[in-house]
Amino acid sequence: MLEFKNVSKIYNGNKKAVDHVNFNVDEGELVVLLGPSGCGKTTLLRMVNQLESITEGDIHLNNKSVKESNKIEMRRKIGYVIQSNGLFPNMTIEKNVMIVPDLLGWDRKKQLDRFNYLMELIGLHPDEYRKRYPHELSGGQQQRVGVARALAADPPVMLMDEPFGALDPIIRTKIQDEFLQIQKEIKKTILFVSHDIDEAVKMGDKIALFRDGQLQQYNHPFEILHRPANEFVSEFVGQDRVLKSTSLYSVKDLVDSVSLTGYQKAGSVQTVQEDTSLRIVISKLLNQEAEQLAVEDTKGKIKGILTLDLVEKFLYKQIKETPKRTG
Amino acid sequence: MKTKKRIAWIVKILFWLIVITFFTWTIMNDMFRPIVEDFGEFTHLLGQHIIIVFISGLLAILISIPLGILVTRKSFQKSEFWIVNMANLGQTIPSLAVLALAMGFLGIGMKAAIVALFIYSLLPILQNTIAGIRSVDKNTIDAARGIGLTPFQILIKIELPNAASSIIAGIRTALVINIGTAALAYLIGGGGLGAWIFTGIRLFDNAFLISGAVPVTLLAILVDYFFKIMQQVLVPKGLRLAKK
Repeated sequence: MLEFKNVSKIYNGNKKAVDHVNFNVDEGELVVLLGPSGCGKTTLLRMVNQLESITEGDIHLNNKSVKESNKIEMRRKIGYVIQSNGLFPNMTIEKNVMIVPDLLGWDRKKQLDRFNYLMELIGLHPDEYRKRYPHELSGGQQQRVGVARALAADPPVMLMDEPFGALDPIIRTKIQDEFLQIQKEIKKTILFVSHDIDEAVKMGDKIALFRDGQLQQYNHPFEILHRPANEFVSEFVGQDRVLKSTSLYSVKDLVDSVSLTGYQKAGSVQTVQEDTSLRIVISKLLNQEAEQLAVEDTKGKIKGILTLDLVEKFLYKQIKETPKRTG
Repeated sequence: MKTKKRIAWIVKILFWLIVITFFTWTIMNDMFRPIVEDFGEFTHLLGQHIIIVFISGLLAILISIPLGILVTRKSFQKSEFWIVNMANLGQTIPSLAVLALAMGFLGIGMKAAIVALFIYSLLPILQNTIAGIRSVDKNTIDAARGIGLTPFQILIKIELPNAASSIIAGIRTALVINIGTAALAYLIGGGGLGAWIFTGIRLFDNAFLISGAVPVTLLAILVDYFFKIMQQVLVPKGLRLAKK
């Protein structure tokens, strides 16, 4: 779907912002471009829709070089979301969201349906927000509208440049969750720039980790966390990488892998849902909120008891026994 | 907050007291006699005044806005320094000297006055156009490029609407200055209400002076008010909300 072939970006003849980068992104995958600031991740992203030119190498989108594509037409087929939302303050929310379909000449009816669908998707009431202006919305709402605008013409590919970076932690977590839900439904091919390893692990199907313009490792979050390719990667993901990896799993993954302790009806036990992140489970268990938790399936039936020992057993199994996966 | 409001009220009351006193004094002393006695001449001079302001202002708008747009394009950025400085130069020369210079080239008459005032009006509009376009958030422009707007569409749909407030403010400033300066047109034979003002000065006749000066002032206030309304009409609602 998206192929980076020996891509380099050289500024002013010597400074290499992006240095011979090679990797492929499959259809429907969300790939996080991760790295410290100045590592070239944003530059690489902007080379896809040709906001930055490519000095060497090439990027292929659907087997076609982006260099040879018509820039304007191509950009209309690529969703683009930036950190500071970039909404047009002079236009209503509806005009903002529908700008690309409007440029593409969609008829009024089709635009209206699409607007209603998108606003429902991002959880804002279409009629309530249609005639309002960006400045009347909160930061989180503006960013949601930014996502809706990028999705407007149903582009197969989306570029997101630290889309949730400017939001406060609570709103950011919420929007990340919402966006993952949306992605489950729309299955876009997404490049997502981030400098936050937690966000990358949470959002990414794969992570591409950069340093000084060079790709350090490109793999599933699990591999990045458990099998860092070099010193830099290991340092970047942090010494608590095992803890970080726990947000990759839900209680259900654990239940499928190790058997729970039997449940006897005795006293009150806290329950957790099957779709809860393992990270939250560990936090609950360590926090002395409970020494054990009862796992509840979607129908409310209790499946068994979960303890720290079991979590440990599960993680051990994952880290030591999972065969090595490659991109 | 309360003291601020009180001061504002006192200033307002004082201002209106002065205005009322002034007009009572002028009317009691029959200062508007020339207008009443020679109404034909008055409308003739007023007409000349308006024509000078209107044509020079319109020319300035037609030249400076496109020029401002041009110098803010990426490929012309280097020319900004020269163009703005040239317009600056026009502004630093005293208005009377610009008129005299224009007369040197075009002879006496209304044409020279129009050209001089045109040169004089260029800078405020040009500067405000450039500042307005430059002040548009870079991220907004980046997003517009990224989702596939052409440079022309970015100009029409994003840059100009967002710069509208600043551009209109520039026109407003230019025209108000222009109306005052147009009184000098009389000195190079350009006509206008300056004719009565300078006659009044020479003859020590306050009636002529005031009959010329007061309509000029009222015209300036009227035009200023008109553009204030235009600002409300032409600036997109979303931006007015943003300011609040």
